[in-house]
Formats: sequence, C-alpha cells, structure tokens
Amino acid sequence: MTGTITKIAAVILLLSFCSCRNSNVRQGRPAFPVADSVPAGEAEKLSEEAVADIVQNIASPVEIASILQSMQVPFSAGYLAPTQGADRLTTNFQKAMMLGIYGADLGYLNIYGKTGNSVDVLSVIKRLADGLRVGQYFDFETIKRLSVSKSNLDSLLFLSVNSYNQIDRYLRDNDRGSISALMITGVWIEGQYLATQVALNFNDEILRDRIGEQKIILGDLLMLLRPYRGSSEEYGALYGMMEQISAKYSEVKVSYRLGEPETKEEDGRLVVVQHEESIVEMTDTQLAEIAGLSKEVRNKLISGN
Amino acid sequence: MKNRLLILTLALAFLPLAAAGQPATDDLVSSCVLAAGENTTYLKDFRVQLPKSAPNAAAPVYKANMYLMKNMKYRFSVCDAPGSGGELYVTLYDQGKEIISSYNSSSGKKYSSVDFICNKTGLYTIWYNFIGGEQGSGVGVVCMIR
Repeated sequence: MTGTITKIAAVILLLSFCSCRNSNVRQGRPAFPVADSVPAGEAEKLSEEAVADIVQNIASPVEIASILQSMQVPFSAGYLAPTQGADRLTTNFQKAMMLGIYGADLGYLNIYGKTGNSVDVLSVIKRLADGLRVGQYFDFETIKRLSVSKSNLDSLLFLSVNSYNQIDRYLRDNDRGSISALMITGVWIEGQYLATQVALNFNDEILRDRIGEQKIILGDLLMLLRPYRGSSEEYGALYGMMEQISAKYSEVKVSYRLGEPETKEEDGRLVVVQHEESIVEMTDTQLAEIAGLSKEVRNKLISGN
Repeated sequence: MKNRLLILTLALAFLPLAAAGQPATDDLVSSCVLAAGENTTYLKDFRVQLPKSAPNAAAPVYKANMYLMKNMKYRFSVCDAPGSGGELYVTLYDQGKEIISSYNSSSGKKYSSVDFICNKTGLYTIWYNFIGGEQGSGVGVVCMIR
C-alpha cells in the first residue's frame, strides 16, 4: 500500500512538473540550462533598458518584401538563400544567423503569396529552431498547412512573424541575448541583400531611401552586437563585417525637415500624418558599394565561412 | 485504498487550476490582430500588465521602442484582456514629443486603434497605460497598413 501511494505521489509530482514547465514556456522563462548564453563577465553588459531600446523591430521580415511588392517588382527565387546546406550547420552561431536569414526569406515568399515554394524553407526553419531549443514557438504544422493550402495569407503572415517575435522574446527573456542578436542580424542582412539587389535593377526612390536609412539602424545593430564580439571568433568576424558595411555608409547623409503632425478622423479612426521628414542623400556609387559589400557579407554568412 | 483515492482526487482537483493559471495572451494577440482590420500586416505585439497606480505617484506605464520607417503606414491597436480592471490606451512619442494617442483625457474619447502615416525613419517610443492609472492587462499590436 505504501508503495502504491509513493507511486501515485510520484505521478502527481511529475504531472505538476510538466504543468509548471509548460507554464514557464508560455511565460518565456526557461526550465533548463542554456549553454549558449554569454556569461556576464565575458560580455560588456548593456543595461536592460538600453538593449530594449534598440532591439524592438530593428528588422522586420516582411517590411522590405512589402515595399518590393508595392513597387511591382517581380518575385525572384534567385534572391533566396539555398536550403541545401542547412543540415551541415553545427554551431548555435550558424543556426541563429540562418534562422534570421530564412525568416526574411519566408517573409518574402509569404508577401508574394509564393507559399507553395516555402515548404523547404519552413522545414529548415523548424530544424534550426529545434536545434536552438526554441522550436516550441514555431507552429510548423499550422504554418505548413496554411502554406500548402494557400487558403489564408493573412493568418500565415501573422503566424510566421509572431513565431519569430515569440522566439526573440523568449531568447531575450532568458539571457540568450547573443542568440537573439544573431537572429535579428540575419533578418537584417537578408532584407538588406534583397533591397540592395533589387535597387540595382529598379530605380525607386522609396527603396533607395529605405537602403540609405539603414545607416541609422546599423548603428544600433552594431551596439546590439558589440557586447558579444569577444565571445567567439565567429562573433568577432561578424562584428568586423558589419562595421565594414557601416563604414560604407559614412558618406550617406540623413537630414531632417521639421514639420508639425496633422491629426484627422477618418471613418471613426484617428489618423496622424507626420510632416516632419527624414531625407536621404546617397549617390549611385555609394549604393553600388553598399550593395556589393552587403551581398559579399550575406553570401559569406550563408556559406558558413 | 482510501489514501489512494484521496490523492487522485486532490491531483484531479489541482491540475486544472495549474493549467488555468497560464496566460491566454496568445489568443488575445490573435483577436487583436484580427480586430486591426483588413489590409494590415502584423508586425509586433506587446503584452501589457500593470498595477494600479499608487496615491500621489505617476501612473504605471509600459514603454517599448520601435523603429518606424518613412513612407509606411502603421496601425496601433489595443485590446483589453477579459477581466482587466482598466482600459488600455497607446501613446506614440518621437524623441519625447507626443505624436498621437488613442485616448484624449480632455474629452474622454478613446479609440481602439490609431493610424500613423510615417515620414521620418527613426526610433519611436510607445507608451501603454490604463485610463486613470487602473490596474489592468491587455495587448498592444502594431500592424503595417498595406
């Protein structure tokens, strides 16, 4: 009898543990040790507030693709990162970087409604997310079902972007900021590659402005990566490459024209039109150099060298 | 046998309580994204939970920073969690200057979402508060208007 009670008690304890662990996952708190977090002593610690200042939406996997679509730029599979070598990625650095790069590619595929082509990318993303122990935030089956059926693009976009946001939030909440920073950098570099390659062939002012404005964002991205640059050779090399891209932006000018915002009500909704404006000055030569280096860095990262 | 039954009863009684304690913010985010309307693409969500403001103290606020881009239209929506004490509203700041708020404290009018037509790329600060400094929980969603 005592043995039976002990067994029942053990089952209850186990069930309680499972319940708590699930609760932790949903709240973004880990129930397991993390090997890839950079110890505080090894990184120049940014204050939590400073990190929060710079990480929100540094790079969205869908905004650049949305601009390209509005420009009526035809979709090209040639811009996508190859998925064949993804199984050979071994380090968390490579996995996190490629998770970001494929995330931007998934955004590009989804915005253009090329969802049937996205199954390969989805499978790789799932493997990489599992490898980084964040696969629980990527609702692979639902996203795959929506992709294949092409039934609801809005839901697909929401689930895909939301999965990335949840992964990012979980990583930052659990002292894995170094991995989050890599994922964000991956999204950024792939978006930058896509925008610059298209800009070389399609002269569009909005796209050129978007590329030039990356000067502002790149400064913050470097600040995000800086604390981890000494944590590994790979990280140091990445930081060096991002600094090189930043240097290419040194002559790009971003100025501001002042103006007061205008508020109106449209269909019962409050709308504000901003009249203060950012103005980008970037020559064709500067654009070509930024595009060339961005491509070189992105190709280096996807080749894993 | 009685002990065994007692333990099983206790287990069955407490497990649903443990499950109910888990937040349902994901469902709230989904419904808030849906409420943002057609022709929008979800970008970001912020889960907000704030205590009631203390007497003679500033109302608690949830702050987030986000890059917004020139030539883009954004929609900021707010949704209250079921049972939330207060009503959530959003205010957007550019370098400390208020650009837009979904709540007008003078008129008492509150909007469930506000649109921002951005002409200046930069880092903006988003504040989430509950009206009157009430305790509450909810989500703020940022979408791009296509």
